[in-house]
Amino acid sequence: MKLPLSWLKEFVQITADPDEISHRLSVAGLEVENIERHRPAFAGVTVGRVLSVERHPNADRLSLCEVDAGQFGRFRVVCGAPNVRPGMVAPFARVGARLGGARKSGEAPVSLDEVAPLQAAEIRGVRSEGMLCSGRELGLSEDHSGILALESDAPLGTDLAQYLELDETVFDIAITPNRGDCLSTVGLAREVAALFGLKLKLPKIKPPAVSDGECPDIEIHAADLCRRYAGLPMGGIRIANSPAWLRRRLELCGMRALNNVVDVTNYVMLELGQPLHAFDLDKIQGGKVVVRRAGDERRFVTLDNQERELRPDDLLIADAVRPLAIAGVMGGLDSEVSDTTTRILLESAYFEPMTIARTARRLGLRSEASYRFERGIDRQGQVTAISRAAALIRQLAGGHELAPVRDVEPEAALRREIDLDLRRVGALLGVDVPRAEIRRRLISIGAAVHTTGKERLGVIAPSFRPDLNEAADLAEEVGRLRGFEEVPERLPQRPAQIITRDPARAFVARTRDTMLGCGLTEIRTIAFVAPEDNRRFPGLDGGSPVVVTNPLSTELSQLRTSLIPGLLGVLRFNLNRQATAMHAFEIAKVFHSTSDTPSEGQRLAAISYGDFIVTSVGAPPIAAGFFTVKGILEAYFVSLGIFDQITFAGIDTARAPYLHPGMAAEVRLAGKMIGVLGELHPQEALRFELSRNCGLFELDFGALADYRHPPRAIEAPPRFPAVRRDLALVLDRDVPAATVIGTVKNVQEPLLESVEIFDVYTGEGIAPDKKSVALSLRYRHKERTLTDEEVNRAHEALVGRVLPLLNATMRQ
Amino acid sequence: MREQLEAIRNRAMAQLGDDASAEQIENVRVAVLGRGGELTAIMRGMREVPAEERPAIGQLVNEIKRELESRIEALQERQQRARMERALAEQRLDVTLPGTRIGRGRSHPLTQVAEEMIGLFEAMGFEAVATQDIDDDFHNFSALNFPPDHPAREMQDTFFLPGGLLLRTHTSNGQIHVMQRRQPPLAVICPGNCYRRDELSVRASPMFSQIEGFMVDRTGIVTMAHLKGVLSEFLRGLFGAATRVRFRASFFPFTEPSAEVDISCVLCGGGGCRVCKHSGWVEILGSGMIHPNVLRAVGYDPAEYQGFAFGVGIERTALLKLGVDDMRLFFENDLRFLEQF
Ligand SMILES: [Zn+2]
Repeated sequence: MKLPLSWLKEFVQITADPDEISHRLSVAGLEVENIERHRPAFAGVTVGRVLSVERHPNADRLSLCEVDAGQFGRFRVVCGAPNVRPGMVAPFARVGARLGGARKSGEAPVSLDEVAPLQAAEIRGVRSEGMLCSGRELGLSEDHSGILALESDAPLGTDLAQYLELDETVFDIAITPNRGDCLSTVGLAREVAALFGLKLKLPKIKPPAVSDGECPDIEIHAADLCRRYAGLPMGGIRIANSPAWLRRRLELCGMRALNNVVDVTNYVMLELGQPLHAFDLDKIQGGKVVVRRAGDERRFVTLDNQERELRPDDLLIADAVRPLAIAGVMGGLDSEVSDTTTRILLESAYFEPMTIARTARRLGLRSEASYRFERGIDRQGQVTAISRAAALIRQLAGGHELAPVRDVEPEAALRREIDLDLRRVGALLGVDVPRAEIRRRLISIGAAVHTTGKERLGVIAPSFRPDLNEAADLAEEVGRLRGFEEVPERLPQRPAQIITRDPARAFVARTRDTMLGCGLTEIRTIAFVAPEDNRRFPGLDGGSPVVVTNPLSTELSQLRTSLIPGLLGVLRFNLNRQATAMHAFEIAKVFHSTSDTPSEGQRLAAISYGDFIVTSVGAPPIAAGFFTVKGILEAYFVSLGIFDQITFAGIDTARAPYLHPGMAAEVRLAGKMIGVLGELHPQEALRFELSRNCGLFELDFGALADYRHPPRAIEAPPRFPAVRRDLALVLDRDVPAATVIGTVKNVQEPLLESVEIFDVYTGEGIAPDKKSVALSLRYRHKERTLTDEEVNRAHEALVGRVLPLLNATMRQ
Repeated sequence: MREQLEAIRNRAMAQLGDDASAEQIENVRVAVLGRGGELTAIMRGMREVPAEERPAIGQLVNEIKRELESRIEALQERQQRARMERALAEQRLDVTLPGTRIGRGRSHPLTQVAEEMIGLFEAMGFEAVATQDIDDDFHNFSALNFPPDHPAREMQDTFFLPGGLLLRTHTSNGQIHVMQRRQPPLAVICPGNCYRRDELSVRASPMFSQIEGFMVDRTGIVTMAHLKGVLSEFLRGLFGAATRVRFRASFFPFTEPSAEVDISCVLCGGGGCRVCKHSGWVEILGSGMIHPNVLRAVGYDPAEYQGFAFGVGIERTALLKLGVDDMRLFFENDLRFLEQF
C-alpha cells in the first residue's frame, strides 16, 4: 500500500520527519518497505495566467505575453510557444527560477544545483522577465510542442511543485493480511495518530438530501455472501479527464487514471478502503440490480473483453436480464462506464471475504478491489464511501444524485463486545500496563471502551477491525502501540531437569561422525526429482513414487524414492567443475506411496568416485569401488556394534537396476534387508559420462535406528595363547567366501576361536572352474595353553568334516 | 695350563682389535667360547688338573670368558651403532612432500549452523523433537489458525500431494503434533525441512529448513517477556554478545501478539550496508504468543495455559552467519564450497 505524505496530512497533523514515521509504523507492524522521495525538476515556478498575447515586434514566431503571477505581480514575457493564448493558465518561471528539465528530447532532468538561475533577458530587443514552460522543461513530460496548460482554476501565484504535489514523500507499506483496514489512507492515518498521540480528523461526509427519484431496486438473493449493498444513481455526468491533483495521487499510489468517474471510485477506495463500482445506469435492464450466485450462468465477458468461466457459487451482480459484474472482482464489458455515459449507478457493498478470495484466485483476477474485499473491509463503511464518491463526482463530473442512497442490509452486523480481563494483558505481555493506558490505546484505534468491573473492560471493536475478537488481540494492540521494546527480557525459571534427548537425533549425529571419519563429505539435495529419476532409481521400499499435485515443473514433479540420483547429480555437477573425485553422503528423507497414501522414510546413502586414498608421491592411489564403499559400511557397522548381525548377499537386480549386476550386494541386518551397495551400472555410468568406477550404497536409516541393539557383553582379553593353523582348500569357483566361513563355523569345533580368509587364488595350478581359498584358523582354550597334539586333533577333525560339506580338496 | 690360558686370552684379545670385522669377532667367539672352543675344551679337561689347582684355574677360565664376552659385546655394540649411523645418514625423506591422504569429510554448512542453533536451545532447556514432512491440512494450517481460503495461506505457497496431504510449509506443524501428544509444561524445538512453491534462486528454495520452537505453561508463567528473553539470549549466543535484538509487531495467524525479530546487522554492526539495505537491521525470525485458537485446536484451555512460539529459518541464518549471499550454494554442493567448512 502506497501512502503519499501529503494525503496522510489531510487526516492527521503530523510534523515528524518521514524516517521517524517509517520507523514507528514498521515497529508497530506496518512495515515500511521503501520511502519514495519525489522531487520536482525545477524551483521557483508558479502558477500564472496569460492575460494578453501580442505579436513580438521583431520576430514573427515569438509572442509578447503579459502574465499574472498572483502575489508576485505581473510580468512581460517573450514566448515562442504556438499554443499560447489569452486566459491560459500555465507554469511561469520567475527570474531566479531553476529549470532542471531536459532541453532536448530524451535527456534526463539534471540536478538543480547544476542549473544556472533564470535571468531576465533581452530577446530580439524586448526584455523578458521570466518564462512560460513546457512539460519537458519542467521534467514533467516529453512534450515540448507548447507550454503546459494547467487547470483553469489553479490558484495564481501558487508554487507549481506544491500545486502539482511534486514535492512528495510516498511510503510503501507492507500490509499484513489481518490489517485490511490499513489498505486505506484513513486507516493508516488512524495508525499514525494512535502511534504519535495525535488526533485523527475524518472528513465530514453526509449523504445529500435529495428527493426520491428513479433508482433501480436492489435485491440480495445471496445474503450469506453479500451482507450489504448500497446503490446511488447519478445523472448529468460528463465523462472527462480528472484534474491533475487526482491523477497525480492515483499515480503515486500505483493506479492508472482513466476518467473522472472511474478515478473517483478508485480515489475513494484508496482513501477509505471501500471498493466502489460505477455502472452505466442506462445499461441496467428491468429496473433492478440483483446480487445472486451464478447458478446456471456459465460465461461472462469482463470489461477487459475476456470471456470468463463461472462456477455456480460465484457471486454476481445482475440486472433483471443478465449479469453485470463478478461481484468484487471485475465489472462486465456491457455495463461499463464509457465516454458517452451520462447516468451512473454507484455500487458500494460488503462482500464476504472468502467468496471474493475463491473467485478471484480461480480466475487469476487480482484487483485492488478484490484484494481489499478478501482482507475484510469496514462492515459499516458502505454509505460513507458512496456519499464521499458522490460529492467528488458532483464536483468533478458535473453530476447530481437522482435519488437517495438505496441501502440494503438483510441483517444488521453484530455488535461484538469483548470482555477484557485487564490481568490477561499483563499475563501475556509480561509487563503491567496501567488501566488508563489500556483504555487510551484502545480508544485511539477506534474501539469503544466502558468499565464493566474492577479488573475488566467491555471493549467494542470498531467495525473496520474484524481481526479484534478476544483478549489476546487487544493485548497485541496495547503491546504494539506502546512498543515491544517496553516489554522486559526475562528468562524462564525452570527446575533443573535433564532434557530428554531424541535417540533418533543422537543416532544421526553418530552416523554422521562415522561417515565424516571415513572421508565422506555431507551434502544436501532437494527432495524433488523427475519421474525418470524415480524410474531408474527405485528406492528400497518398492512402493510407487509420490507425485506432487502442483509441481514447479515436470523435472521436479515427484518426490524422490532414493537419494542416489541426487548424489549422482552432485557428482556430475562437481566433475563439470573440474573435480576428479568425490566421496559424499547424505542422510535425508525419501518418499513413497502405498495404496495412494504418501509416506516418508529416512535413508543414508553414499557415493564414492575417483581416488579414495591418495598415497604419497610415487605410490599408486587407492581408487573408489565396491570394496572401498563396503569397507566404509563395515567400519560403520563395527562402530554401531552390530557388525556380527550384518550379512552381505547377492542382490535381486530388479531391486537396484542401476547397480552393476556382478558388483552389487544386499545388506542384511539380522537377516532382514536394510540396504544395497555396489558399483554403478556401466549403462548409468555412460549416461552420467563417468570414466571411473563409482561406488554407491543406500541404507534404510529408519530400520537401522529402530534396530534393538543387543547389549554388548564385555569380556576380558584371553590369558592363554592361541595357535594358528592354515588351510588351503580347492573348491568350486562360485562358492562365496561367506559360505566357506559359515561352513567352518557351523562345525562348531569348541576350540576354534576364529576363521578368516587371507587369500583367494585362481589360475595356474588350479582347474579353471575351481579356486583356492586360504584360511587362517585360530584355536584357543580359555583356561590353559593348548598342546600341539590337541590342536592337531581338533584341526584334522574339522578339516575332515569341512571337505565333504564344501565339496573341496586340500590344496597340494 | 695357566700359560696356555694366558696365551688363549692374549691371542683372542689381539684378534678382537677395534677394527675387527663382524666375521672375525664371530670366528673368535666360536673358536674360543663356542661349544667346541678352546675354553670349553679346557673346562672339559679339568679332571686332569690337580685338585688343588682346580679352583684357581676355574676362576681364571671364568675371568677370561667374562673378559672376552664383554669385549665382544662392546665391539658388537659399537658396530651396530656405526651401522645405524650409516643408515641414518642415508635415510632421508623430503618432508615437504604430501602425506598419504586418508580423507576427512566435512559436515554440510547447514548441518553445522543447525547443530549450533539446536545446541543453544538445548542448553536453555528445550528438547529437540523430529516431526513429519508430509502432513495434512489440519496440522499445517487449520490448527494453526489459518482459515480455509484465508489470504494468510497465500504467504505460504503449498505443494499438495494425493490423498488430501501436503508437504509442510513450515515446521510449525510440529507444534501441533507435540501439543496433541503431550501436556504442558513444554519446551520443545522441532527442526526439519519445509517446502514452498518457490523456484531455486539466490533467495529461495522449494525445500528449506527451519527450527520451530515453543514453550507452554500455565497462564502468566511464560509471557512475552520470556519470549524476548529466550530469543535475545539465543541470538546473542549465535551472533555474539554485542548483537542488538529488536522486536517488531507483525502478523502470523498462529500467534497473538506476533513479533518479527531483527538483529543488528552482522556485517556493518548497525551502521548500514548492502546486506541490511542500509537500515542497520536484518530480519532473523518470527515469533509471538501462541494464539488462543491454536491452544483450542489441541485441546488446551486458553484460560489455563499460554505460551510462546517462534520459527527460525536455518538457510537464512546460515547465510548471515557465514556471510554468503546465495541460497543455491547450499544445495549445489560444490565441493570447493563445502570443503571450506
Ligand atoms: Zn548492514
